[in-house]
Amino acid sequence: MREVFIGRENLLKLIGRWAKDHRVYVPAKFDIMNHEETPDYEQVGDEVPENMTLEGAALATNPKSFIFYPREVVAKYPSGESDADVEAPETVIVGPRSCDLRGLRKFDKVYWSTEHFTEEYDDPFIVEKRKNLFIVSVDCSFAKETCFCTKVGGQPWPTEGFDLNVSPIDGGYILTVGSEKGEKLMSGNDDLVTDALPEHLEARDKRRRSVTEAIDRQNAEFFDEIESSYDKLDLEGTKEAWAYATQNCVACSACNRCCPTCTCFLLVDQQSDGAYERTRNWDTCLSIGYARTGGGGNARPELPQRLEHRLRCKFEYTRDRYGLVTCTGCGRCIDVCMGRIDMREAMRHVLTTEKAEA
Amino acid sequence: MKNLYRPIESVIEDIKKETPNITTYRFRPKEPVTFEAGQFVELTVPGVGEAPFTPSSNPNVKDTLEITIMRVGMVTEALEQMKVGDTVGIRGPYGNGYNMKDFEGKEILIVGGGVGLAPLRSLILALFDDIDKYKKVSIRYGARTPDDIVYRDLLPVWEKKKNTEVLLTIDEPHPEWSGKVGVVTVLLDDLPLLTTVDVDKLPFTAENAVACACGPPIMLKFVNMVLLEKGFDPSNIYLSMERNMSCGLGKCGHCMLGEYFVCMDGPVMTAKQIEKFEDPF
Repeated sequence: MREVFIGRENLLKLIGRWAKDHRVYVPAKFDIMNHEETPDYEQVGDEVPENMTLEGAALATNPKSFIFYPREVVAKYPSGESDADVEAPETVIVGPRSCDLRGLRKFDKVYWSTEHFTEEYDDPFIVEKRKNLFIVSVDCSFAKETCFCTKVGGQPWPTEGFDLNVSPIDGGYILTVGSEKGEKLMSGNDDLVTDALPEHLEARDKRRRSVTEAIDRQNAEFFDEIESSYDKLDLEGTKEAWAYATQNCVACSACNRCCPTCTCFLLVDQQSDGAYERTRNWDTCLSIGYARTGGGGNARPELPQRLEHRLRCKFEYTRDRYGLVTCTGCGRCIDVCMGRIDMREAMRHVLTTEKAEA
Repeated sequence: MKNLYRPIESVIEDIKKETPNITTYRFRPKEPVTFEAGQFVELTVPGVGEAPFTPSSNPNVKDTLEITIMRVGMVTEALEQMKVGDTVGIRGPYGNGYNMKDFEGKEILIVGGGVGLAPLRSLILALFDDIDKYKKVSIRYGARTPDDIVYRDLLPVWEKKKNTEVLLTIDEPHPEWSGKVGVVTVLLDDLPLLTTVDVDKLPFTAENAVACACGPPIMLKFVNMVLLEKGFDPSNIYLSMERNMSCGLGKCGHCMLGEYFVCMDGPVMTAKQIEKFEDPF
């Protein structure tokens, strides 16, 4: 993969050039309540925002929102066209982390032709947006205390799935071109970059190592007790263990919404100007209505069953179905939980309780 | 790209009341919707929403389809207000049907409970089209009361078909009922155990039989239990799994059962597929 060096001023210029013919989003620091530590996406207008930052770990919003809208009209009837009417402007997002890119793989599995589905099942609303999405990922420069990507098969810098990757180092950035779309973003912009020197790459690798070590260190207490590897977990714990793990859960579903691999949705029909439209809305497996069936049945009426479903979906069900463990270790579900449930702790509890019994 | 979520306009052509809360509708879609017995479709009541149903008509009839529907919620209540000539939406079919090739030369046990006979009717009608290919079709149906029996006029016709028997039961004794009483599993009492010696005298031989069951989850649970006890091979027991299939495309997640999506791997699943789940019903 081609690697070049770029200084901060030139990077801002480069992003500004993209913004002329693309929608561009960059990570910016916001001062909202106590969340000033976690940057989030801001759209680039005439100028790249002053508060843009490429430091830190995963952003507050995960990039699924760019292809899978919280609410979107997916059909109009009775007179709708047989082809989907999708608005998918070319969009550059600067800021996804390695964990986010691994999250998008789940979307590709579920919504795009893969070995599992045929083309007939391609979701036009997601595939069209995905095709027009330019991903400029960023290395993590520190570990949030809730980060644990290295424990679920990841690392705090991307190795695949990006068009362009930015590695912050002292005095500038290294850009890695990861795809043809990445080349397209770089074409005509050679005036802004110089060759990446060995000392640049060394500085990058040193940063990467230190973030990796920090993540490993802060997760030792959770994962070192779990003997089995992350992709061989069997979380069929006892009812009591799951009930204990769920005791502070209020089923607010924040964990579902911020999760980069929660792909579920609910279709809702409504009247609109004398016709009808069907909207697709994010749905959450922690809500009681999620598994409700006609006539009042419910596959998971109890909250512990629902949290169990959520975590086993990440670690077991998607592994068995798509060959993909879909917890990416981004830690967002822990960050947002108002009951302060740490899923690492919940899993450790379920796994170790079971072991004690056996 | 093709829009997967668009319902196809379909006109209600006929409405027939089966019981106080169960009705059979015949729809004529404006674009062809053909299906195999056991597959399901998503039915849209305009502006109200969608719900999954398995057609109850003969899959060999291509230009119309019938669905027998019990009033249980928003969509079905709104549907009940509709008249002949009104338009609904249909998309599909989705999921796997019965593997009817595998049924040839075998005895086919069909166990239905309540409105659960509806999806089985589609299978029964498909079987009747090629009845010589099958050794026996044994239909066993339980309803709550005599008034809750669906296809009242069809059952006597089915009984007269070649190689076919129909057994009925109702849950509680009733003054107008002289037949069997008890939940549908009482109709399975005469099934042999595989270990029984004198196979020729038996009404049914589990080893050469497939079973197809559809009904409320609690019924499926017990029917499955009894059939396994009787020695049916778990891969020969077909159960209609009830989940709220919403998209039908293996995407929305509502019908997940472990790593399965009932809308893709079902709705008809074998007892073998679900044996690892503690309580899948």
